Amino acid sequence: MGNDDGITGPETDRDRRDPLWRELAAVVRATDPVSPDLLRIGRDSFTWRTIEAELAELAFDSVGHALTGVRGSPLQRQLTFEAPSLTLEVEVSAEGGRRRLVGQLVPPQPARVMIRHQGGIVAVEVDETGRFRVDDLPAGPGSLRCHLGGGAGGAPVVTDWVML
Amino acid sequence: MDAEELNALAAAAARGDDQAWETLVTHFSGLIWSIAGAYGLARVDAADVTQVTWLRLVEHLGRLKDPSRMGAWLVTTTRRECQRRSAAARREVPSGDDRRLEDLRSDGPSPESLVLRSEREALVWRAFGKLDSRCQELLRALILAVPSLSYEQVAAAFGMPVGSIGPTRARCLEQLRRKLGSGVSTAT
Repeated sequence: MGNDDGITGPETDRDRRDPLWRELAAVVRATDPVSPDLLRIGRDSFTWRTIEAELAELAFDSVGHALTGVRGSPLQRQLTFEAPSLTLEVEVSAEGGRRRLVGQLVPPQPARVMIRHQGGIVAVEVDETGRFRVDDLPAGPGSLRCHLGGGAGGAPVVTDWVML
Repeated sequence: MDAEELNALAAAAARGDDQAWETLVTHFSGLIWSIAGAYGLARVDAADVTQVTWLRLVEHLGRLKDPSRMGAWLVTTTRRECQRRSAAARREVPSGDDRRLEDLRSDGPSPESLVLRSEREALVWRAFGKLDSRCQELLRALILAVPSLSYEQVAAAFGMPVGSIGPTRARCLEQLRRKLGSGVSTAT
């Protein structure tokens, strides 16, 4: 079912032999293939898997909306993650390649919040106000894992991964 | 890989089977990279988008409404991240005379990271990078995701009837042909 350009499917003989198609395929494969690094990125993601956690899905991301902010001021972004038992409101500020998170658990309650990112995990204790702040995180993929009530029992809540 | 196999792999990976996960990664990496590279992001940003997509899937494995439609889920998730990343790059307005952030917005992978054998290859690559994202996504998928995925699976992932792939590809190639014919500059 194949042919010498490795592309099969519903197409006419003329399409398959189109020199521009064959040329484009060769150029794309040569210049932007799926590299071993990309495969490794995919495989390594599995190590972040949490067991028995409640997922707080990304419900709102201000980056998808109209431009705000003043030229020259730090970039600010509002994120809302929603789980059945908990909502997390997170404000992300950017200065260059570093990120600051200011978070609010709703309903407000004490918790231990772990910020998972490429460099590792940062833990922060949250008091009954449900408010927390973490400075100097690296830009890149990030996710929060919350252990409510001081971590004593109950499934943790993990947020969708986002690009900080 | 049929629907039954996908359902089985998703369930196994959700239970912690890393071999099942590896099979999914091998199977779908081409599809994800097809999307991630179609939005003019610098290669490092496209790689970040790829990583976020996989990390999201890890947490959603046991929660997918229909694991056999994982291709479509991956396309949607990757697209959203690309759009966010593009929007974020636009919002990072340089202050003062700092124009370095402009470098984040490019028409494709940074030239230094590519090995281009000829001026003609560079011409074709740059012209391709000027096609609209939907054309880039589809053509990249037909080149990079096939044959891991069949034409039918690519069509399903993009939410297109399989019969429209041929004509859409032809239209996109025609756009490319016109851009090449008009002498797209290779100047950086």
